[in-house]
Amino acid sequence: MVGGRGDWPALVEEASRVSSFAVELTALGEDELPGLLRFLAEEPQLPFRYVSVHGPSKGREMPEDELVAQLAELPTFVHAIVLHPDQMKDPDLYAPLGGRLLIENMDSRKDAGKYGDELARLFERLPAAGFCFDVAHAWTVDPTMKVGGDLLDRFADRLKHVHLSSISDGLEHVPLSEEQEDLFIPLLSRCRDVPWILEAEPPRR
Amino acid sequence: MGPLESLAEHSAGGFPNLLRAREETRRRLAETRRRLSGIDLEPRASVVLFGSWGRQELTEHSDDDWALLVDGPDVTGARCSMNEISELVGKGDRKPGDQGIFGSAISCNDLVELIGLEADDNKNLTRRVLLLLESVAVINESAHGDCWQRVLDGYLDDSIKSYRPPRFLLNDLIRYWRTICVDFVGKERAGTGQKWALRNLKLRMSRKALFAGGLLPALLCHRYDSSDIGRFLSEILRQPPIDRLAWAFLELDAPDAGVRAIGAYDRFIGMLESQQARAELERVPRNEANRSAFFVEGKKLGADFQQGLLALLFETSLEPLVREYGIF
Repeated sequence: MVGGRGDWPALVEEASRVSSFAVELTALGEDELPGLLRFLAEEPQLPFRYVSVHGPSKGREMPEDELVAQLAELPTFVHAIVLHPDQMKDPDLYAPLGGRLLIENMDSRKDAGKYGDELARLFERLPAAGFCFDVAHAWTVDPTMKVGGDLLDRFADRLKHVHLSSISDGLEHVPLSEEQEDLFIPLLSRCRDVPWILEAEPPRR
Repeated sequence: MGPLESLAEHSAGGFPNLLRAREETRRRLAETRRRLSGIDLEPRASVVLFGSWGRQELTEHSDDDWALLVDGPDVTGARCSMNEISELVGKGDRKPGDQGIFGSAISCNDLVELIGLEADDNKNLTRRVLLLLESVAVINESAHGDCWQRVLDGYLDDSIKSYRPPRFLLNDLIRYWRTICVDFVGKERAGTGQKWALRNLKLRMSRKALFAGGLLPALLCHRYDSSDIGRFLSEILRQPPIDRLAWAFLELDAPDAGVRAIGAYDRFIGMLESQQARAELERVPRNEANRSAFFVEGKKLGADFQQGLLALLFETSLEPLVREYGIF
């Protein structure tokens, strides 16, 4: 969700109007993380059955071991902690996050984490980690969606949730277009059992 | 190749804990059969094991839930004493649960003739459903097979219609599942709810697998003419529950969800094999359970397992059937 960044109660309220099933609370900038950690440490009563936290991928300055230590303290009702693989310089440091750690496939701009082989090497070092499939990121890497299909083939047993949106020319997440909905359906139909996190406003149709 | 192995082909990691438990079940069943081979029974009686034995999910710490099953109105079919059997199976830590459901003699007639009403008490319902869904003969397999078939036929006698799930069976399976869920709380309120965390996770996993392993075949009867429903159920229900689920995921074109659901179940079986995990889950009380890493992990596995089952029931061609038959 976008807007009102840092006002976690308001963001939760906004998200719950879309669905009370699943939410991802995103601290994309490292400066947003302390506020999110404080909010969750108070163990607020949330309406969601599935709660994910997206760790910071911008403005990173904190040493990795310190970041992991902070994320590991998230309360147990947080099911998943999503991180970008291109930000993980020393993957072994992330082992304490165990099965809550989800590694997300990256978009075409990134140097790492786009293809199955790259992610497989990470999962070898972090065998308990799960997989977050960002379908729009996969499209930027390969608009035929073969790379996306390969990711689902290889990591079917690790998949924990999906990030769903379309993506603009500037690689910003935007509401899912009808054209891309049609294109994504074959892969999304393989993910019917896991939460889908909308990374933009729900499409109006 | 069985359904579990076929589903494993869609997974990078397979289901190592389930396959190991199956091997352990085969080994110990052969050993138990050798040990009981000297027991003298009438042809209409059999010694039967239930629970993880029937599911082929034995771990080192599984109970031996056994019973003497007699195909007839009385339970005098054994030429040996019950003590003689209990000396050979279910000793020490492996003794059957203390509710009196197992470790005793069962008349097949009670299971078949007393479905519903007062006489079909909790014990009879449990024995009947578990015989159908998760039992294996130790000795006199044919007597067990005859009783098993009588129980199944008892559900199908007068109630089945072509291309419809068999309502009588379906309702009893749903009733059983809801009963064990209600009894879970009842036991706790009565102060008899020891091992709360372990029993809670078993409800989320193995009990739910057992129920789904009956529910899915019952729903899938909608594919058959009434003359074929009995044959279909007889074939599918003879497989272990997890094979029935794996088969359903493949049959309904949901292998990815199947890999994740059965994968979560596999990890739960792995957890039960761990002495440390089991000891903690047996010890930790309800009010401290959410501080146990094993319990929290087990709950997440339970959620993953249920997510897969719900996708199977509501995101495949089964959805109209669940809507029509699953609630009312």
